[in-house]
Amino acid sequence: MKHILLTRLLHWKKQWPSLLFWLLFPVIAAFLFAAAANEMQSEITVPVGVVVEDDTPSAHELYEKIAQAPFLRVHKTTKADALHLLEKHELDSVFIILEGYEKKIRSGSRNGLLTSYESNRSFAYTPVKEMILSFVQEETGRAKAAYTVQQLSKQSAGKEIWTMEEITESSKRIQSEESLLETDFSYAPVENQAEKNSQPLVNVWEWWAIFTVLSTLLLSDWVIKEKKARMHIRLAFSRYSFKNYLLRNAFLYTALFFIFDLIAIGLFTLFLKEHVVVPAVMSMLSFRLMIQCGGFLAAQMFTHLYRFYSASFAIASIFAIISGAILPVHPFSSRHRWLEWLHPIHSVEAWLFAAILLMWIWYVRKEKSIA
Amino acid sequence: MLSVKSISKSYGKKKILDNMTFSVQHGEILGLVGENGAGKSTLLKILATLLKPDAGQIELDQLSYQKQRAKVRKKIGFVPQDIVVWENLTVEENMLFFAKLSWKKKSVDELRQLCLDMNLEKWKEPVKTLSGGMKRKLNLAISLIHDPTLLLLDEPTVGIDLKSRKEIGAYLKKLAADQGAMIIYISHDMDEITSLCDRILCIGNDPFYKNILKKTNKEIATFH
Ligand SMILES: Nc1ncnc2c1ncn2[C@@H]1O[C@H](COP(=O)(O)OP(=O)(O)O)[C@@H](O)[C@H]1O
Ligand SMILES: [Mg+2]
Repeated sequence: MKHILLTRLLHWKKQWPSLLFWLLFPVIAAFLFAAAANEMQSEITVPVGVVVEDDTPSAHELYEKIAQAPFLRVHKTTKADALHLLEKHELDSVFIILEGYEKKIRSGSRNGLLTSYESNRSFAYTPVKEMILSFVQEETGRAKAAYTVQQLSKQSAGKEIWTMEEITESSKRIQSEESLLETDFSYAPVENQAEKNSQPLVNVWEWWAIFTVLSTLLLSDWVIKEKKARMHIRLAFSRYSFKNYLLRNAFLYTALFFIFDLIAIGLFTLFLKEHVVVPAVMSMLSFRLMIQCGGFLAAQMFTHLYRFYSASFAIASIFAIISGAILPVHPFSSRHRWLEWLHPIHSVEAWLFAAILLMWIWYVRKEKSIA
Repeated sequence: MLSVKSISKSYGKKKILDNMTFSVQHGEILGLVGENGAGKSTLLKILATLLKPDAGQIELDQLSYQKQRAKVRKKIGFVPQDIVVWENLTVEENMLFFAKLSWKKKSVDELRQLCLDMNLEKWKEPVKTLSGGMKRKLNLAISLIHDPTLLLLDEPTVGIDLKSRKEIGAYLKKLAADQGAMIIYISHDMDEITSLCDRILCIGNDPFYKNILKKTNKEIATFH
């Protein structure tokens, strides 16, 4: 292995500027794109229609809260107008605060507070709905608390002061009741957990994954260069078989990339402490192995460098699309569940297994002639 | 000694080599001539263990090509018709590169001397800046790193200047004489073949080559 490393170093010594560029490219590009995407995210607002049918302080208060939410551009209008705009897709979704909203909250009833409408092109409906629900929940919670306090003061008319136990007991009861609240609303059934907190925000690791797929593919061009230089003729008269030589070099490239993967983990944790969930080193290694095998096998199918480079950009683009970095919607909603299976990050084990199997087939397959 | 006994080779229905028998002694240079497509390169690849004959036996210093292929290979130097070197590396780096992969350990000085022996003085220059003759010399030097006893050359001087051609020829003569190497040499250049080779093998049916070769006083074998 030492000898193969020494031969590879002779090449790397000549190629170091471009080599270093493509090794660092995923980290740098991910930083820039994640920053730019976050910037854009804060500028994008979702047009939402709100109709206030209940002319009460509570209803107006709810409206104010919705209007103040970042990301939303709220149109206060009539029901007919709102639905018309929704039909024309000028509004993403419409929420109606129904007549009797305050009265129902006061009385503890949770049915028929709101009605909502979405169109077939709504993309922010679920998160906006969740947000409004949480506002309403606060309100019903407060009403409930006020009611409980009233009850407690009636019960304890004779006592000087409530005991600590009584207070915590009551608040616990309120809490547990309130957490059931959501299902009490006369809304469409709550969708699955995964989607509930979905934000269209693509995190820096997803960007990194896209760019590292690109640079891994591009740097797999060494395989084509070996073939172009017809090195198999020389390797026939050396200590290594050609395939063995290629495999060892592939290992060296994998090790080199993995060093830069660890650097990426280090940099992201250092600078983006709050936003980034650092993936475990092991899953990083699986992902690295998988794309390295992929790049190696892909390069085996090409003889022209430029065709391979074009294909690399195409593959990275497809990867970016199914990652949800280009489309505004998160792709892993129930409608696109099948994409998750196709996606190398979300099913690394399956892809890694396939890649290693293909590598093995490549290695044991008999080549017709070597020269 | 290289001994070739009744080997045949066909590509599909097309018979290229038919029942061919000959031998080469240590210190001998054998020339291979014949029209294009006669099967010279095919024969050389078979002798290099890169291709298997359909029938017949080959032995190199009592080692069987069929049974001891790995051992046989270590004794073979194959100089491909194409130049197989790294264009972006220097002469030195190319020699080091292939020395690392070679069966034999060679010091930098030994590698340098190998190049100097065939008048390849440029050592630190990238191969892409070298002349055709220099590249051909490097192509040959790389094949010699592991000190092969059987050296197979497929048109090693095609398209290069006369001086480099003479230098390569002189080097091969010396290699055969001093180290007892067996050399098999394909060329289209009749002057080169007749001056360099001890014996000549003519492959194919074109009478042109036979007629020219008759005028030389070399031993000539012909195969169809
Ligand atoms: N891999 C192959 N498959 C089929 N035919 C081949 C193959 N290699 C060479 N040939 C044919 O065999 C013949 C001999 O080729 P070759 O040995 O290269 O000739 P030479 O070197 O004498 O010009 C040619 O007709 C060529 O087309
Ligand atoms: Mg030929």
